[in-house]
Amino acid sequence: MTERQRFLATMRYEPRDRCPIMDFNFWDETLPAWRSQGLPDHVRQGNSDDWFGMDSMGETAWVHNGLLPRFPVEVIRETDTELEMIDDEGRRIRKSKVQESIPMYLDHLLQDRESWERHFLPRLRADDPARLPEDLDQTIARLNSPEQERLVTVHAGSLFGWIRDWMGVEGVGYLVYDDPELFEEMVETVCQVQETVLGRLFEAGLKADAAQMWEDMCYSGGPLLTPSVFQAVLVPRYRRIADLLRRNGVDLIWIDCDGRIDLLVTGWLEAGINIMFPLEVGTWNADPAAFRREYGRDLRLMGGFDKRVLEAGPAAIDAEIDRLTPLVEEGGFIPFPDHRVPPDVPYGHFLHYVRRVREVWGLGLNLKPCPALESAT
Amino acid sequence: MTAFMAVMTGSLTWLGPLVPGSNLDIFSLFDLHQGGIRWQRHRRQIVDLQPLTQSIVGGKRKDAKEHTEQALAAGVGPEAILAALVAGMDEIGGRFQRNEAFVPEMLIAARAMKEAMSVLEPELLKAGIRPEFTAVIGTVQGDLHDIGKNLVAMMWKGANFNVVDLGTNVEAERFVAAAQEHQADLVGLSALLTTTMPNMKATIEALKAAGLPKTKIMVGGAPITQEFADEIGADGFAPDAAGAVQVARTLMAG
Repeated sequence: MTERQRFLATMRYEPRDRCPIMDFNFWDETLPAWRSQGLPDHVRQGNSDDWFGMDSMGETAWVHNGLLPRFPVEVIRETDTELEMIDDEGRRIRKSKVQESIPMYLDHLLQDRESWERHFLPRLRADDPARLPEDLDQTIARLNSPEQERLVTVHAGSLFGWIRDWMGVEGVGYLVYDDPELFEEMVETVCQVQETVLGRLFEAGLKADAAQMWEDMCYSGGPLLTPSVFQAVLVPRYRRIADLLRRNGVDLIWIDCDGRIDLLVTGWLEAGINIMFPLEVGTWNADPAAFRREYGRDLRLMGGFDKRVLEAGPAAIDAEIDRLTPLVEEGGFIPFPDHRVPPDVPYGHFLHYVRRVREVWGLGLNLKPCPALESAT
Repeated sequence: MTAFMAVMTGSLTWLGPLVPGSNLDIFSLFDLHQGGIRWQRHRRQIVDLQPLTQSIVGGKRKDAKEHTEQALAAGVGPEAILAALVAGMDEIGGRFQRNEAFVPEMLIAARAMKEAMSVLEPELLKAGIRPEFTAVIGTVQGDLHDIGKNLVAMMWKGANFNVVDLGTNVEAERFVAAAQEHQADLVGLSALLTTTMPNMKATIEALKAAGLPKTKIMVGGAPITQEFADEIGADGFAPDAAGAVQVARTLMAG
């Protein structure tokens, strides 16, 4: 089977040779930390799948479905360890130069209707011809080719996450109460951009397998948006996007959700979004098997492997693999460490993880070469 | 519950008349003062503080300010008004823990509290009423995340703690200096990254080495567990902002 066939068979509960062996990559500090533990210099985030023998997450037909153009980046202040700047989403941020992670947001350009209409609406014109790449025809020809072995995906945007990024958690939290009409108008605007751009992609002939959305809208304690607002404002628009995708043959839609999602899953499923990515164990002890019991086979899952056990060592890793194996065998689930591998995981532990998942979930069948393991033996 | 009992148990939400049909209420006779009771010299109007509490619960900042102004104008003691505000924050905190309220509701409640406090604070100061406890809070060194820390700070302020917010990426020495300067009863350490969790331990060690016998230390953040809190010698841990208020109160009571 090709990667594409295997992914689709897994998510449709159909016969397959084995489960996809995937990874959600690493914190930026992780690979540098592993250099002294045996990781070769040439292995980077961009090519680590090849080194560790991981199946890819496919290929995306990229378009400009967000702010266009993005805001000009401007450095305000720089020290040896920190950088203060205006980023390409109009935010004043402070970020560490020694540790890559979410920066500290000092100020957001999007505050109210005036700033929305002045700075953001002009960047969210759905019919901007520049939203599609100039080489779209060649891209579509390549992705539609019978030789295409990787999963073909489209990006269907974000109805909350982008607005939250533009306004901040506090800003959007106030907005839903202070000016609910404006909040809904923002969501509608972004939704229309997705509908227009996806429509043009499909009209141009793209045949996609799956779609991905990005929200990052939950934290360890629950959703950042009130579920009733989610249900009233977001769910109908998710459904519009999902319906458009289904009309064009895309029936698998994953959402990068993060955090404690249990109060939102029903709404996403109702709208037609059927893959939660990544189900996080580390933040709130989510149990993939419990999710399957509660929501049935309509709900597909990715992630769900407790990355904390990677630090603990081989016995804990083996136990976590055993815990997840029944669900892996059932299908509709592609496990990987739940939210990127952190630098406190020893390289040797990760190699143990790779070796074991190739044996247990990969069944040793049709696996990609794994130079990491070959060089370790 | 009678008004008197409500006052004595600290769950003041309504101030009814002492004599049915009269406008003589408990505050015609007594006034709260720093945990004690003193004679009140002037007669006051009967004021129902429940709408004030509910304005906090509902995050209605304009109402919160107006109800506070009205209560003050009617002669209600500032400490009673403060109790009504804190009751509102407690209510929204409880709803948050029961998944009946979420981050936006917490935010607007805290904002309404802040608005009401802008009116009430000068009156509290005039009456010599200050927060009983001072808390220093910050995100530990190496960590720039502040959303969780901000929510806890808001909730602590809502619970009438004097909160000194040191921001993010705070070195252990700054926590120690601030705890000493403000004679902190409580220090709150926040971290989102597993890689900065060791800095929590280092900060706790520095605080303990500084010899601050009355200062309790709380930790929190997405990767933090009770087990980790115990391991590094923290006095308390809470999984969320509302829980942080309960734990802080327990620590202060102990």
